[in-house]
Amino acid sequence: MSATTAALPVAFALWRRSLNEVLRVRGALLPATIAPVVFLLGMSGQFGRLTGLDGFPTDSYLSWIVPLSCLQGAGFAGAATGSNLARDIEHGWFDRLLVAPVPRPVLLVGPILGGVTRSLVPATVVLIVGLVLGAELPGGVPGLIALYVACAGFCTVAGLWGTFMALTFRTQQAGPLMQQGVFLAVFLSTAYTPEVLLRGWLAGAADVNPVTHVLELARQATVSGIDPSLAHTLPGLLALAGMFAVLGALALLGLRRLGR
Amino acid sequence: MSAAREGRVVAALGRRALTVQFRRAQLLMPTFVLPLMLLAVIASGTSAAQGLRGFPDVASYLGFVIPGTIVQGALLAGLTSGTAMAGDIEGGFFDRLLAAPVHRTSLVIGRLAGTLGLSVLQTSFFLCIGLAFGASYPGGPGAALAAIALAAITAVGIGGLAAAIALWTGSLSLLQSIFPFVFVLLFTAPAFFPRDLLTPALRSVAEYNPLTYVVEAVRGLLTGQEAIGDPLSGFGAAVLLALATTALATLALKERLRTA
Repeated sequence: MSATTAALPVAFALWRRSLNEVLRVRGALLPATIAPVVFLLGMSGQFGRLTGLDGFPTDSYLSWIVPLSCLQGAGFAGAATGSNLARDIEHGWFDRLLVAPVPRPVLLVGPILGGVTRSLVPATVVLIVGLVLGAELPGGVPGLIALYVACAGFCTVAGLWGTFMALTFRTQQAGPLMQQGVFLAVFLSTAYTPEVLLRGWLAGAADVNPVTHVLELARQATVSGIDPSLAHTLPGLLALAGMFAVLGALALLGLRRLGR
Repeated sequence: MSAAREGRVVAALGRRALTVQFRRAQLLMPTFVLPLMLLAVIASGTSAAQGLRGFPDVASYLGFVIPGTIVQGALLAGLTSGTAMAGDIEGGFFDRLLAAPVHRTSLVIGRLAGTLGLSVLQTSFFLCIGLAFGASYPGGPGAALAAIALAAITAVGIGGLAAAIALWTGSLSLLQSIFPFVFVLLFTAPAFFPRDLLTPALRSVAEYNPLTYVVEAVRGLLTGQEAIGDPLSGFGAAVLLALATTALATLALKERLRTA
């Protein structure tokens, strides 16, 4: 039996375990789902008139903000992977897993896949609420695929970030740090307005923030000015791959240091 | 004599509430850092809104949006107070307090005194940070002090509500999970945008949110323009909220004692 074949059931079991945390703890997904919906409603109500500015690609602010809220929900679901890992480390459960005869990285695969699966709930709820309230879907099926790829990718990246934080601090008290990281990554981008309307330092930050490209990937679903095309897709995929490589390396480094 | 003794109890409990807050840095993160992060992003991300027709003529956009941050801080300070009280109930400390020979209402007011102190520190901090980053407060130092007082009364109002929930349920996890609802209160008020430029549905809802009058009053005070917000309406709404929720928390305490 090859190492990969031996590792698969372990990854699958840990994926099931992380899903059970949601299925068996009543209301576990509620805060992670409600928060992005509240942001969606609040931001579109507060800043809805911004679409009147020259350079805004759509006349529906709800359409502009839906992908942001989907990514936010997916990101928080990913960050929760880190909180759960920190809890497992604090309670000693992860120490027991470390002595299992499988490569250490396999221990991270299941929980992160679990986070990605969980992230589908807030992303879908936000999308449905947005569509019910009048958001548009000009991107059709290709746009929707792009939106879900962006959410799943961003959740993975957020999961790696949370994992790195958990392996570094080894305490649940690092939870706010994991969430604030996601919050900052999402909002230091073209979250509220397109790049042409950003002013000051945020324009520079959004320019170098890879999440700006991930948002563009996601916005192919709902923003009429960002049609599904490779030009809007490739930068987002590359940004996700870059973040995955950097944060994945950091998480693996943290994992190697654990117990030494 | 008795009043003096109760005053000492309230002061001691208030001091304890503040000390706990500052000794556990992770509790400061949401109350001090999160509102500033949102302020930074909104002030830079939506500043193009000044070009919209109907936007008030203000000296600084940062100065215009900072009242939203101040009210958000008041909401979070109040919620933190309820969370800490739920922690005291779960940990058994509150039961020991109940056995002390003091008036039981003082236990509630003591906690709210801590909230008041936290809010004063927090609002002063926000105003100073805003000033350092270029905000101007044409209303002058007196208006800034009035804004600090108004935020503190509002924080007591929210703290009373959170304390009532803590006393009714005694559940720390419930208090932690109502965090997203704080944003419902914030976003259904014209926290970061003028009320006239909110979407029609939100504008209608905002009329019934007491925080609308508070945020507009803080804005009116700081900008020195009563046309933007009437300070008297703000103080009226905040005082009514504080009185009503303190009474609610006292009732919840009585109910808890009756059913215990």
